[in-house]
Amino acid sequence: MHDVCVWMALSFYALGILLIVPSVVRRRPSLSLASLGALGIGLAAHAGALAIEAARLHRLPVTDVRSALSFYAFLVTLAFFFVYLRYRIVSLGLFMLPLVFLLTLISALRPPGSFDSSAFRGGWLLVHISSIFLGYTALFLTFVAAVMYLIQERELKSKQPRGFYYRLPSLKVCEELYYRSLVLGLPFLSLGILTGFVWASRTWKGPWELDPKILASLLTWLIYLVLFSNCVSGVWRGRRAAYFAIVGFAAILVTFVGISLLSGEHGYIPKLRG
Amino acid sequence: MNLTLLGINHRTAPVEVREKMNIPEARLAEAVSDLVHRAGIREGMILSTCNRVEVTTSAEDEVDAESIIRRFLTDHHHCDLGPFGHFFYRLRQQDVVKHLFRVASSLDSMILGEPQILGQMKQAYAAARTVGAMNGTLNEVVNQALAVARRVRRETALGSAAVSVSYAAVELAKKIFGGLQGKTIFIVGAGKMSELAAKHLLSSGASNILVSNRTYERAVELATAFHGTPVPFEHLYEHLSQADIVISSTGSPHTIINKNQVEKLLSARKNRPIFFVDIAVPRDVDPAVNELDNVFVYDIDDLGHVVEANKKQREREAVWAEEIIQMEVQRTLKRLASRDVVPTILALEDRLNRIRAMEMERYQGRLGNLTSEQRQAVDALTRGIMNKILHGPITELKSGAGEPENVALVRLIHKIFGLGN
Repeated sequence: MHDVCVWMALSFYALGILLIVPSVVRRRPSLSLASLGALGIGLAAHAGALAIEAARLHRLPVTDVRSALSFYAFLVTLAFFFVYLRYRIVSLGLFMLPLVFLLTLISALRPPGSFDSSAFRGGWLLVHISSIFLGYTALFLTFVAAVMYLIQERELKSKQPRGFYYRLPSLKVCEELYYRSLVLGLPFLSLGILTGFVWASRTWKGPWELDPKILASLLTWLIYLVLFSNCVSGVWRGRRAAYFAIVGFAAILVTFVGISLLSGEHGYIPKLRG
Repeated sequence: MNLTLLGINHRTAPVEVREKMNIPEARLAEAVSDLVHRAGIREGMILSTCNRVEVTTSAEDEVDAESIIRRFLTDHHHCDLGPFGHFFYRLRQQDVVKHLFRVASSLDSMILGEPQILGQMKQAYAAARTVGAMNGTLNEVVNQALAVARRVRRETALGSAAVSVSYAAVELAKKIFGGLQGKTIFIVGAGKMSELAAKHLLSSGASNILVSNRTYERAVELATAFHGTPVPFEHLYEHLSQADIVISSTGSPHTIINKNQVEKLLSARKNRPIFFVDIAVPRDVDPAVNELDNVFVYDIDDLGHVVEANKKQREREAVWAEEIIQMEVQRTLKRLASRDVVPTILALEDRLNRIRAMEMERYQGRLGNLTSEQRQAVDALTRGIMNKILHGPITELKSGAGEPENVALVRLIHKIFGLGN
């Protein structure tokens, strides 16, 4: 049943993306509606899959790679819908949804996580993981807004409007989206990192501070802190802030994906098991 | 259905002819009334704008509406149509439907996608309705044309991109600032063009306006007109940092705003974006200013490029609009044709049934006393013959619904079966 839901979600996401491309390229509102409908069904199926998984595990399904990717994809789609309802930017889907599809696909192709650890039953860890994911979702939105800003800014600076000029929102809207998602994402990221430190210092034996993933997330956090303070003070605006948001998200990717391969604990094969 | 349209537009006739044929709005109702009171004309509509004069009628089946319209125009303008004859185009039947759809959707306009034509057609329609000149086929076609125009507007971006320089400036400002609410405009050098651009920006929501000019009196004059604040030219730079949008058109022989000054402005503004619209020739704003982040400088040529790109954009959208119109024309023709066909089928059935009933009655006596079974058999026999005869013409009528040739077929069937009299 879980697999049926996941594949259903995946197919409807694919349909949604297939529809959203011509709806943006040819600017057809009727296609946008059809696309949103397909994505909505996909989202519901995805929620069903997560609920089934949660019922099986008796906890939020975020503790193995397969469910974690799936959960993150779900959050990103949800974020797309929220932003769409507020701003009505269909073109946002072009940037956000391919990631959703990719993550859901990878997750669907992986075998179900077989390990279980008492460590994951702790409340600290669930708070840690879910805040990190909420933070990542918001900061992904920051990244997308930054990319859209840069493209639109290029169109305006070049003085030769091409396709994107007509299809992307105004610089103001990109900045607003960028700023709001940053303001939303940073507290979650901070909470996630702090709870992670507390949990690690309590549970792990040995020098937890030197775990590569912990160092990487600390660096990511610093990048976003610098970005945030410079944005609030108005020193950075527009292009420079947008470039930095892209750097920040690259750091997230390195932390999330890259270091997982190196770090013992965060490789989803808990050291504690032995 | 007998639709005819006779008209001239900006492509077929020069302005001298169009103005001669123009029928002013005030006299529209009276003119339509005159038109539909002519023998054979059932409905009529007159669309008269600065780019076109078109008279459309729906007439009795055998009537030559074109010559009636020509006579009407001759009478109305008290002039011989002869020398202007070749400027007119004449459309019939489904071509009229398609043309009205295209005109309402602004695909036939001089500026593709301009919005006024829809309002003008609504006016023409309203004028025709008030004198009772809209009550059948033409009414349905025009109504449909207005609906199609709304669909085109909704589903394509035909009318969305600015195709004049001053509107292009507004559009760019919106791409930078989102809405223009609360934005401050600074007019530097009062000229006709900057005045026009400022007017468009204000009507799009911009609230504050500052005006500076070498002759201070002119600045005061313009500021008063826009409820703005005049700024003496010597104090220009002190006030510049307040402005989100600067429209510059001074007669200065060299640039008056350079990169250094704008860098200072930016730090005073905490890097909030500035949009320079430089419509002066020679230019007022150093092009190097555009290299700064959060600053956008458009000179008159740049605005022209945007307009050109937007026009191309509209042309691309027009292709899709034409497709929508083609679909809608087919749909409307089908409906109109079935409207012609259904009464004919009913009349035909009724006619044959009546013959059958009459003959049955006539042979009542000769058939003698039939049992009820025999009576039923005779009834079924005659009904069977009737249905076999009807089958051919009805199938033919139905299958041809929507085709223009069907009109002739309907007429033929009316004639050979003696329907409608």
